[in-house]
Amino acid sequence: MLFRVDPASAVPLGDQIAACVRGALADGSAAPGERLPAARELADSLGVNVHTVLRGYQRLREEGLIELRRGRGAVIVPGATAPDRARLVSRLREAATEARELGLTDEEFLALARTSLD
Amino acid sequence: MTRATHPVGPLAAPRLRALAALPFVLALATYLLLLSLWSDRLPDTLATHFAVGDGGRADGFTGRTAFAVLGVGLLVGLGTGWTVLVRRAALWGAWSTAGLVGALFVLLLRANLDATDPAQVVSPLTGLALAAAAAAVFALVGWALASLVPADEPAARPGATEGPRLTLGASEVAGWSRATASRPLTVLSALALAAVPAGLLLAPWPGALFALLGLVIAVPGLALARVRVTVDRRGVTVRPSLVPRPRVRVPLDEVAGATVRELDTAAVLRDFGGWGYRVRADRTGVVLHTGETLVVRRGSGREFAVTVPDAATAAALLNTLAERHGRV
Repeated sequence: MLFRVDPASAVPLGDQIAACVRGALADGSAAPGERLPAARELADSLGVNVHTVLRGYQRLREEGLIELRRGRGAVIVPGATAPDRARLVSRLREAATEARELGLTDEEFLALARTSLD
Repeated sequence: MTRATHPVGPLAAPRLRALAALPFVLALATYLLLLSLWSDRLPDTLATHFAVGDGGRADGFTGRTAFAVLGVGLLVGLGTGWTVLVRRAALWGAWSTAGLVGALFVLLLRANLDATDPAQVVSPLTGLALAAAAAAVFALVGWALASLVPADEPAARPGATEGPRLTLGASEVAGWSRATASRPLTVLSALALAAVPAGLLLAPWPGALFALLGLVIAVPGLALARVRVTVDRRGVTVRPSLVPRPRVRVPLDEVAGATVRELDTAAVLRDFGGWGYRVRADRTGVVLHTGETLVVRRGSGREFAVTVPDAATAAALLNTLAERHGRV
């Protein structure tokens, strides 16, 4: 899996790392059940802090895309739906960014999201 | 961009191989010539092993035909091995091997000359010294002949990198990482590992200690069965999935280009002679399965190959990083 981060970008590095995993999962270059590199190893590889990588992995776990297990490291959730889920999360994040750019508050965005569920 | 010199291989290889085979051909010819010239003067059973003490008196014997077959077989076998695996810097080794083995056989024949009773044959230790001297002289000849072979291509200049590329922003940092595994090797190593306690518990002592030999298969096997391949600012690294060592690394400095190759079973056998960690005359490989393979050409002209899925991305990133490294 290809990880690319731009320290000059305004997007936090942890989020950039999470976006790499989501993108790889969505385009098939990472498969469900695949093990991600250990946080320390990836940090070494990219020359970033290990906590930055862990923040990215934590975000992916909250999104339900990876499992973090002590001793086993980070593993992409098994199951055929993982790529679709990654795409969904990506679109949600895009929508949230767009909402911020439009000047919506977080509450307004959530309210809007709720209406689309009805 | 045009390059004045081609990589070593197609042009230099036949001459180098011929020069490696030559001393064995000479030794073999000498041996066969002496066998036929002296056929009347050699006994049917030859003394072929001598005690170190007791003035070098014979204590081991071989039939004449068996001895001839043994000599020819040994010289042909060693000669084939050296011819296939020889490198320019090791040509002297081929010559000294042929010199040593050839001299030993000739000296053995000479010691047996006109012997009526093989048990009375004596070969003093000076014979060994003579053989060593012959090996040294041959080594010098081989070393001198190496100059007839064009030198290996010098390290490639920055910018000589070829192969696929990736677009990478000026401030962007990238790394690629992928785990790959060999199921047969995993199973084999696990079985070998399981055999160790089973053997220690069930087999009678002290023979059960042989079960520890299982570790000799299981430990390197498991280290190789599941590996992680990484491409980043340091180069290409292959290491076991679970532990950081031992690892194989091609530093970015030495990367002259990366490409992708599709290896099938025939190609694996032809180019690497099997699966596992393979070291050949002009290439090294971590070959765990067939299929997509990342092939890295080093500045020295040698190749490093590792079978890994999504090798195309790895090759593109490696080329991009190597190019950037040369430029900065």
